[in-house]
Formats: sequence, C-alpha cells, structure tokens
Amino acid sequence: MFNNILSAISAFFTDFGDSFYENFIAEDRWQYLVSGLGNTLVITVLSVTIGIILGFLIAVVRAAYDKTGRFGFLNVIAKIYLTVIRGTPVVVQLLIIYFVIFASVNIDKTFVAVLAFGLNSAAYVAEIVRSGIMSIDNGQFEAGSSLGFSYSQTMISIIIPQAFKNVLPALANEFIVLLKETSVAGYIAINDLTKGGDTIRSQTYEPLLPLLAVAAIYLVLVMLLSHFVTKLERRLSKNDRR
Amino acid sequence: MIDVKGLHKSFGDLHILKGIDEFIEKGEKVVIVGPSGSGKSTFLRCLNLLERPTEGSIFFEGVDITSSTEKEVNLIRRKMGMVFQHFNLFPHLTIRRNITLAPVKHKLMTQEQADSIAEELLKKVGLSDKADQYPNQLSGGQKQRIAIARSLAMNPDVMLFDEPTSALDPEMVGEVLNLMKELADDGMTMVVVTHEMGFAREVASRVMFMDEGRIIEKSSPDKFFSNPENPRLQEFLSKVL
Repeated sequence: MFNNILSAISAFFTDFGDSFYENFIAEDRWQYLVSGLGNTLVITVLSVTIGIILGFLIAVVRAAYDKTGRFGFLNVIAKIYLTVIRGTPVVVQLLIIYFVIFASVNIDKTFVAVLAFGLNSAAYVAEIVRSGIMSIDNGQFEAGSSLGFSYSQTMISIIIPQAFKNVLPALANEFIVLLKETSVAGYIAINDLTKGGDTIRSQTYEPLLPLLAVAAIYLVLVMLLSHFVTKLERRLSKNDRR
Repeated sequence: MIDVKGLHKSFGDLHILKGIDEFIEKGEKVVIVGPSGSGKSTFLRCLNLLERPTEGSIFFEGVDITSSTEKEVNLIRRKMGMVFQHFNLFPHLTIRRNITLAPVKHKLMTQEQADSIAEELLKKVGLSDKADQYPNQLSGGQKQRIAIARSLAMNPDVMLFDEPTSALDPEMVGEVLNLMKELADDGMTMVVVTHEMGFAREVASRVMFMDEGRIIEKSSPDKFFSNPENPRLQEFLSKVL
C-alpha cells in the first residue's frame, strides 16, 4: 500500500520532469515565453503611456466643459469617442485598426497593438480621471481663482494632483486589466506571452504546463503591480494623517 | 478703491442681488452683516468675480473688471486676497507650499524668496512651527490663520473675508478675529462678511446691513448698533445681540 503511493508519487514526478523538459527545455522552447513576455510588456507599457496622456487630456476637456461650459465642440467629440470605444470589444477594435485602417500599409504589428490598446485604455482612463476631478471640492477651484490662477494653472497645480491621488486605485486596476487584455494581441499574429504559451502547446500537444506557466507569469506581474500601487498609495496619502 | 454700480445677480430665476451701489475707499474696513440668504456672501464673491454679475459694473482701482478679459481678471485677483468659510487650503501641499504656491507660480518670487516671506507670515500668524505639516494636521482656527497668510503672501491691496469664523469651534474664533484685527491695524483694506457683531463694533470703519439683496442701512459702528434706523435692522439686532 505504502509502496504503491510512493511509486505513484515518484511516477508523477518523473512524468512531470519529462513533461517539463519537453515543454520548456527541449529545443529552447522557454524562449517563446521570454520573447512573448517581452512583447507583452512593451505593448502594455507603451499603451499605458498613450492611455494616460490621452485619457488625461480627454478628462480635462470634459471636466472643463462640465465646470465652465468651454470646449463644447471638443466635448462632443470626446463623448462620441468614449461611447464608441467603451461600447465595442477591444479585439474588434484591434482587428479594425490592423485589417481596415492600416490594411494597405505595411506597418509594424506591435505599433498597431500599442495604438489599439492605448486608444482603448484612454477612454477608460478619461472617465476615471474625470470622476476624480469632479470629486474635488469646488472650494479648491475657487481658492485657486482667488489667488489669480487661470483655469489651467489651477488644474495642473491644485486639482490634478489631488484627483490623481483619489483615482490611483481605479487607475491601477485599469492597467492591470490592460495588461491582461493584451493577451488578445495574438489575433493579429503578435507573439505575445499568451501566443508564446500557445505555440509551445501546438508543438508538444500538451496544454497543461505551457498554459499554466503563462497564467502564472500574468499572475506574478499583476501581484507585483498591485504591490507597487499599494506602496505608492501609502506614500501619497501621507498628507492625510491627522 | 472698489466702486460698485447697479450690481444685480441672479441664479436662474432666483434674484439674489437687487441693485447695489457702493464705494469702498482705500484703508476702509467694511463689515457686512445680515440674515442668511440676504446676498452678502454673493455680493462679496462678486467683488473678485467668483460670481459674475448679471448686471451692473464693478471698478477696482479705476478698472472696470466686469468688462475685463479672463486674463485681466486673473491679474486683478492677485491684488484681492480672499478668505473662505471653509479655508480651502490645498491638502496635498505642506503649509509652506500652500503659502508660496501663488507667488512662485506667478513668477513674482523665487522659491527661496517666497520661503522667507512664508516664514515671516507664519511668524505673524503665530504658526512658525507648522511650516512642514499638512493642512489636515491643523485645527480649524490654525487652518484659517494659514489661509489668511496664504492670501497675504500675494501682498494684496484688499482682503475679502467670507464668514471666516462661521465654520470654527467657538474657542477658535478668537484667534482668527485677533489676527484680523491686527491686519486692520496695519492699514489693510478689508471687506468682511460675518456674524461676529463684536468684531464689527470694534474693527469696522463702516457697517452695512443687507437684507433681500439690498444694502438697506450703512453707518459708523457706533450709530449702527446704538441707533439703528431701519426697522428690519432693529429687529435683526434685537435677535443677535
């Protein structure tokens, strides 16, 4: 009985070892995951950058319209943009940008992915930041005005720093979502992390280990990101001490 | 210094200010009292265009600010300090940065110059030890004194006070009023909306009574409190004194 269990365990580990070797070591298959991870990170970091910049701009335009009635035309455009982007799946947007908008040009696929995910993320960032701006007490705007600051100076020096702090958890969540959403980049044949795992599976006909490995890498990334955000939040909240 | 002509202000159908003509001279300490909803805060907020008048004009140091561009208004506001009921300090900045933000951003001073001004002002308001703390670490009275210091850092020609003690615990009202008295003694032109009748009697060069969007009585504090003419004012004083 005891021997049976022991041999079952050792068989499992022998199998596991074989399988591990087959999936990751043989023919340097681990490199699919490494280069895939590299692409995933590049796409995520660049699209986060686009998302933040564009999202903040849209949010400021929208908030300016809500607060002062200015930028009526830009606000309408922003609203249409938000509705379309948030109302359609990111995969569809990715496919449209690649196969329709850039159909006739030979263009770097990573660039297309960055553009698609960046434009997509900007829409979500914009609404998060706008809600942050609107949550700041009107007295802060008035204090800024009374000191002779223009609307944009008040925004930059007084409102946005406070709004940013308030929406940081929501923003971080958006970037975690974005990191995971880039896993559909394979639709336009980009070798990202997910695609890397899938490539190994298609070569070894073993789905378990490659896909588990992919999932584990995403999980570690997300946990790292969450950890840094918690740290940052703690630093930013130091002026809340009473 | 401030000349108000035919000032009206409506919020939608709500007619708050119903024709105000007033002239405030340099060095005057004008205290405005009146029941809630009489429009005294709105009047004060019109003086630096936090509220845009619906009708009428306001001249500040000879310039019609109601017809000025946004840019000109921002320049004029630098000369008009404002203290709010709820302080409106910037919670994300230290006390020192709260005070130095405006002069530095307006490029009137370097950060070092502004820091030394801030030190002087903090000494004046008796909070030198708080420079590196954040607003939320201070009491209400301390916050309001910092808010006054923040306005003073711009070296304004006039200070507007919008119920500066109304949000304070009773034991903190004194420290803020004392600071305002000091300011008055230094010759600052002040327009104060308040419910502190003692302050009005002691500090004001002129007291105004507002009711239903009009200034219905204005006189020296002596006459205002001991010999009020308008029956509405008599009734008001009998309730608050």
